[in-house]
Amino acid sequence: MIKKLNLREYVKQKGGLWATGSIDVMFFAFLLLIVVIGLVMLYSASYVYSYYQFNDSGVYFRKQLRNALIGLVLMLVVSRVNYRIFEDIGALGGTALAWLLLLIARIMPAHNGTHRHIYITETLQFQPSDLAKFTLILTLAALLTKYHSRIVSKKPLQSPLLAARINHAVGRPFFNDSLPPILICGVVIAVYAGLVLLGSHLSGTILILCIGVTMLFLGEVRGKWFVCGGVAAVAAFLIAIKTNLLKSYMSERIQAFVDKDFEPLGARWQINQALYAIGSGGLFGKGLGNSTMKHLYVSEPQNDMIFSIVVEELGLVGAALILVVFALLIWRGVVVGINCPHRYGALLAMGFVFQLGIQVVLNILVATDTVPNTGISLPFFSYGGTAIIVMLVQMGVVLGVSRDARIRRR
Amino acid sequence: MAKENSAAMKSGSRTARRGVIMLIIVAIVAFGACVIRIAYLTLIKGEEYREKAEAQQLMVTTVNADRGTIYDANMNILAQSASVWLVYVNPSKVTEDNKNAVLNVLTKYLEVDRAELLDRLEESAGNNYLKIKGGVEYNVKNKLMEQVAAEKITDVVFVDPDTKRYYPNGSLASTILGFTGNDGNGLYGLEYKYDDVLTGTNGRVVTAKDGVQFELDNAYEVTYDAKQGVSLVLTIDTEIQTILEDALATALKETKARNVYGIVMNPNTGALLAVANLPDYDLNDPYAVLYPQLEKYFKKKGTEEQKQDPVAAARIEQWKNKSVADFYYPGSVYKVFLVSGALEEGIIDPETTYFCGGTISVGSRTIKDFTPTGHGTETPEKLLVNSCNTFSVHVGQEMGAELYYKYFQGFGFTERTGVDLSGENTPRVGVTYHDPAVSFTESDLASASFGQSIAVTPLQVVTAVSAIANGGKLMQPYVVAKQMDINGKVISVTEPVVKRQVISENTAKTVAGWMESVVNDGTGQNAYVAGYHVAGKTGTSEKLGTDEALYIASFAGFAPRSDPEIAVIIVIDEPRAGNYSGGTIAAPVGGDVIERTLLYLGTEPEYSGDDPVTMTIATPSLSGKTLEDAKAVLENYDYQVRIIGDGETVVSQTPDAGRKTPMDGVMVLYTEQDAEKEKTVVPSFAGLTVYQATQVAVANGLNIRISGSNANESTVQAYKQDLPEGSEVEYGSIVNVSFRTVSGMYD
Repeated sequence: MIKKLNLREYVKQKGGLWATGSIDVMFFAFLLLIVVIGLVMLYSASYVYSYYQFNDSGVYFRKQLRNALIGLVLMLVVSRVNYRIFEDIGALGGTALAWLLLLIARIMPAHNGTHRHIYITETLQFQPSDLAKFTLILTLAALLTKYHSRIVSKKPLQSPLLAARINHAVGRPFFNDSLPPILICGVVIAVYAGLVLLGSHLSGTILILCIGVTMLFLGEVRGKWFVCGGVAAVAAFLIAIKTNLLKSYMSERIQAFVDKDFEPLGARWQINQALYAIGSGGLFGKGLGNSTMKHLYVSEPQNDMIFSIVVEELGLVGAALILVVFALLIWRGVVVGINCPHRYGALLAMGFVFQLGIQVVLNILVATDTVPNTGISLPFFSYGGTAIIVMLVQMGVVLGVSRDARIRRR
Repeated sequence: MAKENSAAMKSGSRTARRGVIMLIIVAIVAFGACVIRIAYLTLIKGEEYREKAEAQQLMVTTVNADRGTIYDANMNILAQSASVWLVYVNPSKVTEDNKNAVLNVLTKYLEVDRAELLDRLEESAGNNYLKIKGGVEYNVKNKLMEQVAAEKITDVVFVDPDTKRYYPNGSLASTILGFTGNDGNGLYGLEYKYDDVLTGTNGRVVTAKDGVQFELDNAYEVTYDAKQGVSLVLTIDTEIQTILEDALATALKETKARNVYGIVMNPNTGALLAVANLPDYDLNDPYAVLYPQLEKYFKKKGTEEQKQDPVAAARIEQWKNKSVADFYYPGSVYKVFLVSGALEEGIIDPETTYFCGGTISVGSRTIKDFTPTGHGTETPEKLLVNSCNTFSVHVGQEMGAELYYKYFQGFGFTERTGVDLSGENTPRVGVTYHDPAVSFTESDLASASFGQSIAVTPLQVVTAVSAIANGGKLMQPYVVAKQMDINGKVISVTEPVVKRQVISENTAKTVAGWMESVVNDGTGQNAYVAGYHVAGKTGTSEKLGTDEALYIASFAGFAPRSDPEIAVIIVIDEPRAGNYSGGTIAAPVGGDVIERTLLYLGTEPEYSGDDPVTMTIATPSLSGKTLEDAKAVLENYDYQVRIIGDGETVVSQTPDAGRKTPMDGVMVLYTEQDAEKEKTVVPSFAGLTVYQATQVAVANGLNIRISGSNANESTVQAYKQDLPEGSEVEYGSIVNVSFRTVSGMYD
């Protein structure tokens, strides 16, 4: 298709540049609710730290608000775009851009000891891994749509490759026709993961892998591939440990997770303070704004550990209610996806909301010291410009899909 | 279109199914796990984490409460806390570069040994805290910190506020006051007894702080005010305490006794005016043994343990308030209580007579009197005057154990007095006394009748004597008159407590009269003070169960008899200088204390015709008069007059106008301003009779003032003088000579 690159023809073939139909109001409502709660909690969690750093309690909040507004505008724009035009150009171009930016970030001088950011100034910086998550979903959704019939095919593999010879030798179709597209998907995921890992961004890598697996799962890839993938992942992990590939700070984080008394003023400081904050919250919390742990105890309370302040102020009940809103948002995204007549749209909608859900789960597991500290932000809550803009654009895509979805309304 | 179809998704497709599965995994299972985890952290671990969080968030600053002051009855300070400073270093900050500076500064201002300090610094090299010295005065601390700043070692040497307890009078009343430990808590005496009251409660300021140690705004601050310690105002009068301690110190030296105790009490209220036990100690240095004989004693006669560490034993001994802690046999002093009971019960009356033949048999035992020939026919008054044992035993027999016990108990000897001093011991039946309900044999009763075999504390005795003095009321002795808060506001006032009426007022009056006879004519003569109508009783008891003969001599009495202001007890434990009878060695101390105390209290003397004081006159005022006029005035006196100078007018006189002198005393008139005072050397009066002493005084140009024993007795001898022998004094000065009787003091 791309060979006979005629943009006008392409758009026309995809059904026009603009989407028709109306957005899913429920999804939009849940989304706005989450964005507002997130902004309020960001302000509550950040003002002390902001004042301490800048003598101005609103620095983080204002930037986040500005980015959220930018994100919301972009979201509304994107929601009007016919999602199907992303299917080829968006996916390919996006992936190329994401890889390029990841490489640029790697090449650029380290900022805060990592290569996660393309850092120009304090106000002008960009985290390409946030974009990478977006384009990965766009790309995988496209690939899984394009090769859907082969992925679900049970025909034996015909091509004269080693795998086919194995089939021949085994005497039954161990590898079937789904192998090539899955390998393509696997390579795409691996390149994404590798590039993010190059930026010393373990949590981003984990997320990329989780998103990849989720997309393959939604793309109807057969179960045995996941078993193979799981075995391969464990092997890779063991090799990484054996060869000291994990950097010292990563193993330190794991040690800090295993040994709860490890460096209470160092590696475990932040997580201990987060636990104290959560424990202090109790059933109903201390009330909005009343956290004491945000008074420079929980380091950078506006970032990854913001959820601990949320629990401290709103308690178990408040935290659970926020999770319910997140769950409703995911549910609504899944409903949009299921009711989308087009596979690509379905994969996009579900891919984006599950990415959101996985990120929420991983963040809370870290904040509650359930898994080692990796550094995953809480969507819509944690401070971070790229993250909230990209996340809102992704939600815009879901909203765009929802215009196409035939959701039965009562 | 085929591709379009393959991209089309039917509802119920596998993608949709897998979407729902994923939804369940993420939004229900994973989110549910998160909620469960949060629930675990907030609900189950919440308490623990909350406490840890608060522990790091709250900064508690202690505000020390000042320890209360202890005042005497006239608001003189006896014990006071002063703000001082504690110097400490952070040894981990001591480097090779600053070590010398640190050592120099500390040794220069704190009087610490350099080598020792270096050792301590090196020992605690890794630590953050090493106390160098507490109790550093404000000025010293300031100089020290100036130097610390100059040497740039402010990160090594620090000071903290501290308090120190001062006792301005040193050893005065040491066994009642007691002292405090390093942490400021009372260890002995009143400091211990009233520790809670004196201490107060430290205040706290609880401030919330953030993670970088800045204080948060005041909304988070909670202040718990320090409750300042309460001050005590004692009934103890520093003047009377000094009089008592001086008298006891002299007695301790003269009698070479092991201990001497004395108490001065207000018999009408039970207020203790002075309580002293010697040897005592310096309150500002309680661990130093003040009297070397204590250490020697334990080295020689202590238990094995005490011999090992005689200093430790001596410390415990010198800290003890023995006048409430130690029991002794009161001896003949007890006879006043025996007679009181018998009189109250009608077993005797003032006219009762008894023939003392010198012995009395009790069962198979014969009890002898001190006077082998006996005292002849005696009334109860004579029983006391002669301190007759046989009559006492007879009275005891007449009363029987039950009645004896009734008054023994009535006068408070079976119970604690309830005084608010620390360390009062509890009488125990079978150990310190006999109870007929348990065992009280005839032989016990006989001994108990003259004060052997029953043990009492000096405070019990003076309290019981006070009951006779005040008309029969047994008072509860006390030493804290009132408690005051930091602003001087009185919080509580101790009201005198009457424990019971032991004997009727009439009985008390009668016995008091007999006790005055004891001092006027009997074994208590040495306690005689002209004009003060001292009533008293002496006693000598033998310590039982010792290898050598050891005695306790005592005197208990009160004055003036008709309207008593003070009751006094003097106990001399194990005198070793020959005389050991209470009448000889304890009564003069008692008389001395009574005389000086009543003089201090301003009690008006009432002289009787026999008193030598009646032969004294107040000197006329002659200054300003012409020599002629002065001579005319002196016509009416028998003075030996000396005139110094060539002037026509009297400029000054010795003795001063209004002083009491013998009628035939010495008067010096100076007629010139700035004339050199005529001097004379004080002779020794020791061993002289009153007549002889008067002659010697006049011959040496001195006016004599006679105190002590009844001057008419030929057996009376001078034993003490207030101007030391050989000292040079002004011609015409007044010398106070004390007399006492040494013979016939069989009590």
